[in-house]
Amino acid sequence: MNLQIYNEELQVGNMQVEAVSSSSIVLIGDAETIQLSSIFDTPAESLIIGPFVPLNPQG
Amino acid sequence: MLNKRTSVVDRIIINSLSIVSTFEIGDSSQIQAFSRAIALQRERQTFFSNEIRFSDFDIFTEAIPMEPIFENVTFETNSIHPIIKVGFLDITGVSTSSVIHIGNTKNINMESRIKHIRHLHPRN
Repeated sequence: MNLQIYNEELQVGNMQVEAVSSSSIVLIGDAETIQLSSIFDTPAESLIIGPFVPLNPQG
Repeated sequence: MLNKRTSVVDRIIINSLSIVSTFEIGDSSQIQAFSRAIALQRERQTFFSNEIRFSDFDIFTEAIPMEPIFENVTFETNSIHPIIKVGFLDITGVSTSSVIHIGNTKNINMESRIKHIRHLHPRN
């Protein structure tokens, strides 16, 4: 497939963004390949109730 | 040939740009960001040195399923009026390997992984 691109003007009048976080991108313009990713993960050991000793997680 | 444009920005307000974040006006060709984090919050301030390693948790060691992009697409660009105009951009926060990019680019590859652990004292 042959993609023909005609670059006319790209205009953004007014843009309001609250937060851009953890490997995200606000792109105004062209790109050929974009690969983003993210993992958040709060399994069982995300809340530990116990004495304050160093944790030795099993993973 | 890289697809080039001229970026014209009138007014930008970025309140905070932190933790390896980038703010770019103009073209680039490769954008590579990474990030890790763990965030252990304890009810009382106690700190132990090298307590947790990223390799302790699977989410940091397992491969992220990101297949490489192989499409047989050929680009042919004819730049007639290659301008990017931004009037007003108001951004409150940019954090953790994030990018504000006004302009063209070619390849973007980013990752992240976070985790969060809360450690509370037993209620007896």
